[in-house]
Amino acid sequence: MTDAWVLPALPVAGFIVLLLFSTWLPRKGDWIAIALMAASFALVFPIARDVALSIGNGNFQGVERSREWLNIPGYIEIRMGTFVDQITLVMLFCVTLIALIVMIYSTGYMRGDKRYGWFYAIVSLFVASMLSLVLADNLLLLYFSWELVGLCSMLLIGYYYDKQTAAEASKKAFITTRVGDVGLLIGIIILFTQTHTFNIQDILRMAEAGEISRQWLTASAVLILAGACGKSAQFPLHVWLPDAMEGPTPVSALIHAATMVVAGVYLVARLLPLFEVVRGMPELITALGLTTTTIAVFCGLAQRDIKRVVAYSTLNSLGLMFVALGSGAVGAAMLYLLTHAFFKALLFLGCGSVIHATEEQEVDKLGGLWGKLPITAPMFVVGALAMAGLVPFSGYWAKDEILVGLYNGNLNSIALIVTMISLPITAIYMARLVMLTFFGTVKDAHVHGHAHESEPAMSWPLLLLGALAVVSGFVVFEGVGKALGFHSGFLGFIFNAAEGPETFSVNWGLAVGSVALVVTGLGLGTWMWWGDAEPSKRAAAFSPLLYRLFYNRFYIDEVYQFAIDKIVLATGRVVAVFDRAVVNDSGVNGAGETASFLGWLGKYQQTGKIPNYALAIVIGIVVIFAVAFGYRT
Amino acid sequence: MHSGYWLIASIGLPLIAAAVLLFVPDERHDIVRWLSAGVGAALFAISVFVFFAYELDRGGGFQFFIRWDWLQNTAFLRAHGISLAFGVDGIAAPMVLLTGIVCFGGALISWKIEHHNKDFFILFWVLVAGVYGTFESLDLFFFFFFYEVAVLPMYLLIAVWGSSSTFPTFTRTKEYSAMKLTIMLVSASILIFLGIFAVFQKAGAGTFDLQTLYAVQFDENFQKAVFPLFVIGCGVLAGLWPFHTWSPDGHVSAPTAVSMLHAGVLMKLGAFGIIRLGIQLLPAGATFWMPGLMVLATVNVVYGAFAATAQRDFKYMIGYSSVSHMGLVLMGLATMNTIGIDGAVLQMFSHGVMTATFFAMVGSVYDQAHTRDMTLFGGLVQKMPFFVFFFGIAGLASLGLPGLSGFVAEFNVFVGTFQTYPWAAALGIFAAAITAVYILRMMSMALFGPFNERWASLKEMTYLERGTASLLLGFILFMGLWPAPFVDRISETVRLLPGVS
Repeated sequence: MTDAWVLPALPVAGFIVLLLFSTWLPRKGDWIAIALMAASFALVFPIARDVALSIGNGNFQGVERSREWLNIPGYIEIRMGTFVDQITLVMLFCVTLIALIVMIYSTGYMRGDKRYGWFYAIVSLFVASMLSLVLADNLLLLYFSWELVGLCSMLLIGYYYDKQTAAEASKKAFITTRVGDVGLLIGIIILFTQTHTFNIQDILRMAEAGEISRQWLTASAVLILAGACGKSAQFPLHVWLPDAMEGPTPVSALIHAATMVVAGVYLVARLLPLFEVVRGMPELITALGLTTTTIAVFCGLAQRDIKRVVAYSTLNSLGLMFVALGSGAVGAAMLYLLTHAFFKALLFLGCGSVIHATEEQEVDKLGGLWGKLPITAPMFVVGALAMAGLVPFSGYWAKDEILVGLYNGNLNSIALIVTMISLPITAIYMARLVMLTFFGTVKDAHVHGHAHESEPAMSWPLLLLGALAVVSGFVVFEGVGKALGFHSGFLGFIFNAAEGPETFSVNWGLAVGSVALVVTGLGLGTWMWWGDAEPSKRAAAFSPLLYRLFYNRFYIDEVYQFAIDKIVLATGRVVAVFDRAVVNDSGVNGAGETASFLGWLGKYQQTGKIPNYALAIVIGIVVIFAVAFGYRT
Repeated sequence: MHSGYWLIASIGLPLIAAAVLLFVPDERHDIVRWLSAGVGAALFAISVFVFFAYELDRGGGFQFFIRWDWLQNTAFLRAHGISLAFGVDGIAAPMVLLTGIVCFGGALISWKIEHHNKDFFILFWVLVAGVYGTFESLDLFFFFFFYEVAVLPMYLLIAVWGSSSTFPTFTRTKEYSAMKLTIMLVSASILIFLGIFAVFQKAGAGTFDLQTLYAVQFDENFQKAVFPLFVIGCGVLAGLWPFHTWSPDGHVSAPTAVSMLHAGVLMKLGAFGIIRLGIQLLPAGATFWMPGLMVLATVNVVYGAFAATAQRDFKYMIGYSSVSHMGLVLMGLATMNTIGIDGAVLQMFSHGVMTATFFAMVGSVYDQAHTRDMTLFGGLVQKMPFFVFFFGIAGLASLGLPGLSGFVAEFNVFVGTFQTYPWAAALGIFAAAITAVYILRMMSMALFGPFNERWASLKEMTYLERGTASLLLGFILFMGLWPAPFVDRISETVRLLPGVS
């Protein structure tokens, strides 16, 4: 556990080797990246064993190991190191496993791409940064990794950089998350100036002991939350995620579904003791999560691009995780994070398989692919059902825990009601996606005609993720946890320190209610998009305004675009013109011209006429005498 | 051997090079090039040596100290009246390293100059000698002397080897830019000059020796009166708002290597002067005036960033971004606390290397395309992946990406500023987000996106340019990943500065 730094070090090595030598390596060196990734994944198991043993020993608070990085004696001492506890373990498992699967899948999906080596290099760098993000024991290293994952995300969104849309999307993603990161950085600096340390555990201790002044604590919590919202695409910084689908699909699965976008969730979970000390903070987190979920479910209903629909379902899920965190249910949030990683990666890789097979990603042109894609189609359906939250798929157990957390928590019951309302809508748009893609009538015979199942490198990962999407929810049971070598189920393993470990129990009212809502939603969705999808067209025609609102994502992007064009860039233009016209042409040139005007005036004393000079001499002498005598008397 | 000879060598070598070049026949461009490259390499080696040989466990004072007396015990001068005294402390050491890196890089980048390249390099080396001299001088007289030597060759370098540009609404001729730069800087020098004599007179020690003068306690009102002379006089060279306009125009007109030196080291002379003359000589004046400097510095940071978003010319964008980044240096100095001033010096180094990279890159594309209008380009990455790689890294360093030098520097500045003026720190970090806007806007406009067929004939950077860029990039990464060698040296000295908390 103390040598956890090896985990990110392996993919870093992969990155360096591939960056420098991939051109000359066989297969561009993808096997090096995959082998190192596999090694990294394998090393999670000894850590898991250590954690399991340590928890068994009683009061486990995580294991930290660090070394000095910067030291100005008496002023600042910064140590860099790793911190491993249960939350870290879940993240490590998720990140390394999904990364390994995605890398294997990409050998098929990305084959023949002209920048194949670059792809693996950047993905390796991404995984390394992500691992160091979750392992960081201090906020500085966390911020460091946080920006690096953002950079990798930008590079991968802009992977097809000859497309203008991809270049724009990568810019948008980076700047939007950067806005949140401004907050994060200020928040970290505030905490540092108040506590004189970057160490997360020390800061949490001080926050709980009330050693940080209340105003600064509130300010830093809000600002750090802004950073988390940027990365985890929460309202109002969610706009970059749907556009991020310009990247290659495996990247969407890895970065924009399973790992990087949950970094914000991880950060909030990690700092939850700090957030809970601040009054109103849990409510704020929940409110942001609910807003994001609500926006996402409605937008998801109307999108036409298969990846965009899944992207909105990611927003939907991220919103739910924030809701869970706001209600203090860390266990539920982390369980959702774990299962979500599997079923969402499955959905994205499924999308990738469909796109690879048909070279088409508009759902309006797909249809009737069920028989054509015998592995992808059923696996995609599994993913969709898990996303919708149908029992017994993994999504159900996680979502159910969130509902229980909301029910037991001390938040307003509106949160529970809104979450419940979102469930059937989620089910409807997942059903819609499945119906339009795999069932229904064939809309484009050409696309349908040349569709074919993908190669094994792509279908095996789908099968594996499909299996995980079904079973990973079962870790919530006591027995399953024990069988895996831990002392209890998931909720006894990760829990809110203030509330203590929980054992899994079924709240039958919520369980039946939520399943009923989901089944209704699935049924409705299936009916509406059955065959020629007549009912859905009638629904869209019934309220074209509402449809356009959903399709155009509530026009939030337009508002931001307006703000950037009309405020930031306009200010820039005003400043530039001011600089040229006022500061330079008036101030600087003006001073120069004044001097030359004075010189022009002065030149008229050089008349060349002797009498003028004589007169000047006489006047001068008189003045000198006058002054001299005046001075004496 | 006396260690001070290393400093003498760093100043003497470029002067000797300039003298030797006088005797090289005009048409032997190859001799000029190889000689200059050799001198650049030697200076780089000396600078690296001086930086690493600066010993940490000796308390942050001056090392490599050497003194050759010139005039003493005559007229109004007493012992060590005016002497060639040189030495480096923990603040000067990174600056010496920076000068070595940038002048070596500049000498290599200027390889392709065909027009009177002998004369170009003579002026170039005189300028470099002036820069080294300013960073190393421990005598007010020679500080000022070298300061002027560093500034004046700029006029000819821009006016002769520069380029004039026409923009939709106005024209910038190289003569105008060169003249403005020189007049503004020389006018500012007058203030420094006045300050130097005021200090000399007031101290009454009959010497220009800085170490003697540092020991003098000037009375508080005198300090308050004289400090603005130094801070504005040096501030103009550091790009202090509203005296910054010589800088973007100077860049636009200057040839590549001159832009590199100009933004890379020349502007640092100004900030360095504020430390050497302002803070060290007149600490009480500094304490009194720093809130005012903080206001101007914040304007610099935010104003420069906004102005950069509106630029279409690569060099104007980088020029305004320099104004913004030099604002961070001034912001760090204005905190008057250890972390802030540490950050300022780190930012001086970081900005120097980063901007030199920027200008080297712009030069390599301008030499081929003869335009710097970023809206005309598109998808350059397809033709010039190395160019985009280096340019991109410099851009990311500029917007403060962790792992690169900019972050380390900015972070220290922000932490320091936050302890004294939280509002200024918040505005500074906000400006860092605006930096992301203009850098990424430029990237998506010129470097990525669909390829503009007009540029089908563009070629990748030459190997020499790649080598230069790699050298600069190496230091960006070095400082970003392992800042300890820099911070150790700087903080040893900064904590000795008077008036710093």
